[in-house]
Amino acid sequence: MAKKKVVSKAKKSTTKVAKKVTKAASRSTKKTATKAKKETAVAIKSSSDIELLLRQHVGKPCVPCVKKGDKVTVGTLIARPQGLGANIHSSVDGVVSKITDAAIFIKPSKALITMGKKVVKPVSAKKEDLLGRVAEAGVVGMGGAGFPTGVKLNVDLHGGYVLVNAAECEPILAHNMAQLVLFANETVKGIQYAMKITNAKQGIVAIKQKHSHEIESLLKALKGIDNIRIHLLPDIYPMGEERAIIRETLGILLPVTALPTEANSIVINVETVLRVYEAIELGRPVVSKKITVSGKIKGTENGVMVFHDVPIGVRVKDVINAAGGIDGKYGEIIMGGPFMGKPCSLDDPVTKTTGGIIVTEPFKDYKGAKVGLLVCACGADENRLKDIAKKYNMNVVDVEYCKQAKDPKGNGVYKCENPGNCPGQALKCMNIKKAGATEILISNCSDCTNTVMGSAPGLGLNVHHSTDHIFETVGMQVQRHLTKSKFVEGPIPEGCTASRNPESNEPGGIKQVSHSEAAKSSEDYSKPYVFKEDTPDGELVISIESGSDISVKYED
Amino acid sequence: MSISAEYAQEHLNDPAVLCCRREAGTKLSHHDFEDPAIFDDLVSSGLLKLDGALTIGQAMGSTLTKTMDSLNPILKDCVDKVQDVAASAVASSATPATPAQASSVTQSFSGGKLKIHIGEGKGIDLEIPMGLGGGAASTGATGTAAVGASATGSAVGGEKVVRTLTRKHFNITEVKRGKETKIDGTTLYIREGIEKEAVDSQELVHDLKVDIITKDNYHIYSETIMDTQPIATKEGDAELGTGVTRVLDNVVMMLTGTTDEGVQIGEFGSSEGYLDENVMWNRPSCPDHGDIIIRGTVKIENLKNMERPGPLAAHKAFDVITQEIRLALKELDEKYCVSKEEFKQVRRPGKKKVALVKEIMGQGAMHDNLILPVEPVGILGAHPNVDLCNVPVVCSPLEVLDGCIHALTCIGPASKEQSRHYWREPMVLEMLFDEEIDFAGVIFVGSPQINSEKFYVSKRVGMTCEAMDVEGAIVTTEGFGNNHVDFVSHIEQIGMRGIKVVGMSFCAKQGALVVGNKYVTAMVDNNKSEAGIENEILGNNTLCPEDAVRAIMMLKAEMTGEPIKKPEKEWNPNVKTQNIELISSVTGKPVELVKNEKSLPMSDKYKKKYANA
Repeated sequence: MAKKKVVSKAKKSTTKVAKKVTKAASRSTKKTATKAKKETAVAIKSSSDIELLLRQHVGKPCVPCVKKGDKVTVGTLIARPQGLGANIHSSVDGVVSKITDAAIFIKPSKALITMGKKVVKPVSAKKEDLLGRVAEAGVVGMGGAGFPTGVKLNVDLHGGYVLVNAAECEPILAHNMAQLVLFANETVKGIQYAMKITNAKQGIVAIKQKHSHEIESLLKALKGIDNIRIHLLPDIYPMGEERAIIRETLGILLPVTALPTEANSIVINVETVLRVYEAIELGRPVVSKKITVSGKIKGTENGVMVFHDVPIGVRVKDVINAAGGIDGKYGEIIMGGPFMGKPCSLDDPVTKTTGGIIVTEPFKDYKGAKVGLLVCACGADENRLKDIAKKYNMNVVDVEYCKQAKDPKGNGVYKCENPGNCPGQALKCMNIKKAGATEILISNCSDCTNTVMGSAPGLGLNVHHSTDHIFETVGMQVQRHLTKSKFVEGPIPEGCTASRNPESNEPGGIKQVSHSEAAKSSEDYSKPYVFKEDTPDGELVISIESGSDISVKYED
Repeated sequence: MSISAEYAQEHLNDPAVLCCRREAGTKLSHHDFEDPAIFDDLVSSGLLKLDGALTIGQAMGSTLTKTMDSLNPILKDCVDKVQDVAASAVASSATPATPAQASSVTQSFSGGKLKIHIGEGKGIDLEIPMGLGGGAASTGATGTAAVGASATGSAVGGEKVVRTLTRKHFNITEVKRGKETKIDGTTLYIREGIEKEAVDSQELVHDLKVDIITKDNYHIYSETIMDTQPIATKEGDAELGTGVTRVLDNVVMMLTGTTDEGVQIGEFGSSEGYLDENVMWNRPSCPDHGDIIIRGTVKIENLKNMERPGPLAAHKAFDVITQEIRLALKELDEKYCVSKEEFKQVRRPGKKKVALVKEIMGQGAMHDNLILPVEPVGILGAHPNVDLCNVPVVCSPLEVLDGCIHALTCIGPASKEQSRHYWREPMVLEMLFDEEIDFAGVIFVGSPQINSEKFYVSKRVGMTCEAMDVEGAIVTTEGFGNNHVDFVSHIEQIGMRGIKVVGMSFCAKQGALVVGNKYVTAMVDNNKSEAGIENEILGNNTLCPEDAVRAIMMLKAEMTGEPIKKPEKEWNPNVKTQNIELISSVTGKPVELVKNEKSLPMSDKYKKKYANA
């Protein structure tokens, strides 16, 4: 099954767009990419001016520092952050053609844009100023969150952990794994820089056990480095969620309101660490993005292609055309992965957080069938589920939220209290049934979906998952019953740790510790919590659900 | 869905069913169990079979020996061992490291308690000063004794009569119009032209018609009935709830009305139509069959029907007439008094102390109640509970029976308690005459419109009950839906203080509780309708003696620790029938059930709207 081969050499042709792609089935593990070369030239024919959004990150939009008519080259700083944000650089040689409130448009000097070995204008910060280089290069979290990396790394972990998210948990996406085969040494260097900047004593790369080939490549790059280890994850969704990574690698389950620093750690995406390496060692600003293209693409038989350096700002359709073009009629185009991705238009530009571009089959018509939505924090949100229901021509009669989906800031951004571990869904399914639905459309994780399968079909509800049309497009089995273990089983490479069943005695397991226990070593949390209140002659009731070293004193 | 550690402890004897797939080797905790509250639904939909399931107590702490999917009961052969429930409780306090099993320490302390509960933990230090406990506790004991000793006065066998109320009844056989308002023997004359004064007294009232409706004339059209009131007055300077009250028998005041355009002054349904088809005679709230009805039909300014001043003006205008009758009643010769009734408010120290909490409407517009007027069901001197912010007001049972509530309520006609209801409130009468309990008082609490205010007032109800130190409480309400939010919150606030509580409401089919909590375990349904609905028949589903008897028995059962059976999944009128039979056989007194809408001629409106319900 596994085909991971590199289509050779970029052709310099004006008619046919040359491709440099890694073709891979996302579930591939076979050792076939040994001949991979480190050349990442990509030529994309731009159909119009490229569009660099002023907001490609968490925070406020950047402020342009060029004006219409300015000549720019690849790497020219074109916008600076105001407050939280990250620099934006030109990804092409050309002329600024238009500036709006939302974007800077650049007319490329050549319609065919190539990346790769291309000379890039380096950042000005000195090489010793590690953090300065990262910040200046405009690195942001490339797993999709877009948090400015210069801000994230500006922390003293006092010997804590840099946790590298290489879970690549979204099915179909393959660019993270491809990176680990092609750029393992650079990735490891990036981790070492991140550790140095944050004063961490340990780096941990969290990766799914099934990616044996990529693990092998990483292990090779880690030879002789004893403060970075690999942690093996089970093959369920989600494992890449920030707090899930912390729980799996450190054994600490943080509350939804906590930041990773409360577990003495930062979590950083595997592509982001590579960009950190590039910024520091090569002085290279972020001008390109690794993207997986999949779905109904001509000549791919619904396979998966990885583009290593797509210039930021080119159109989605140009990337699809570079991959072969859309094959016939389609349903929607998703930017991102099947679970968390959002529909986009052909004219939308690629940003620093674009991970996947997936073209789906047309939607089936359910002719107005009544549907109940079960919204999960780990997958599609309520609006996205309503969008899918509309595309299926379903009529929404009820919306339920998973018990564990919490909205701590009240801004509509939900987080799961314990990602990947189901709290039970029977009541939600019954509510949906009672609302008169015949269909149930869910966005749940592997474990919760499995639980829904335990009650919804029995209640006479037809189960649909928000990823169904995507999985069906690429010929994958749809999300339904869980047949795999939530734990890593069997032998693991020496020196690695793994998400073992806590009751098993297999080697490599991580000791589970409570949040408070973990916080004990952190300065912020070792402060005693003092609570004083006069108690009249009534009842004083103290209830401590869990904890350790609790002292209760009664003082007059 | 998975349950909390505390909830699991409460359900140790319920079947253990996995909420989600769990793999072999999982040590079972509360995180793994499905909520027993939904088992009925799961079983009836065929998703769950509970045969052979271990209890939560037996399964918690055991290790699964095979991977199992959600909604599978945990059987004996699925776990490494079956926990000994009794032993595990002991074991848990001995080994506090065992997760999810609570150990608790209770220490009597300074008249109250110091209660420390630690769900899980280690290295826990508690420092509590010694010697404080004993002394304070004995002070408390002496305190109680002192109260007992001071309760002398008119004490009979430890009982204390707090106050008495005497009702003098005067019979009326005929109501006529005349030159002046007076009572001549058994004939009541109402002054001709009094309507104009009534109308002029209120800016918003544009018209008021008075007619006198006798039994032969009950088949007469009426606008929606806003209130039915007794005609009663205090003798001398006596305050409401004490002294002597004079009341006219066989005659009632009935206020009806619309706006100028003819919009009924009602919200959820209205009772307009022929009186004989729309009034459930002889309910505490309603006219008795045979009563002479002095009916006022008002017209108020358009659009004012849904604002507070509108309905209030209608009541005020009508009271101009009632007040003139009251004054005539004061003058009536004592010789026409046909009977006397004496009500004693008796406190019985040593018996179980109980309170009655009556939730009354307080959302505004016609949902209001005037509390404590000078005259029975009068206006003067009373304060609308909306203006009192709906906070609890404690009244003596005799104040209630003396008309301390002038009701403006206009929720569904079938369940609303009109002013006459309080005058003869069956729950108050039942508790007043029950020698097995110490009836402490009646707490009125308004039902506000806004949720935050609902919880504000229900917390005050809890505090009031706590301060009264009662052992049990009965909470009643009228209407259903919106007011159920605070109704169940009252029950929660009372229940969480360790006070036993019984709720009374119309529920049945249409009025099923929209919210709930773990203290809503003892409920009496006031429904009388055949179909279990609000059918717009005035007073049909209000609290009657047959409901009061069940509530007090239920409260006594709770206070003596007898279990109350869980409700059935769907409304089943047989539950009431069985309970009534049970009570009759225990007390030896038959409980006569009141009639319902079936005893009335069916109106066209009813045929259209409800006959097929």
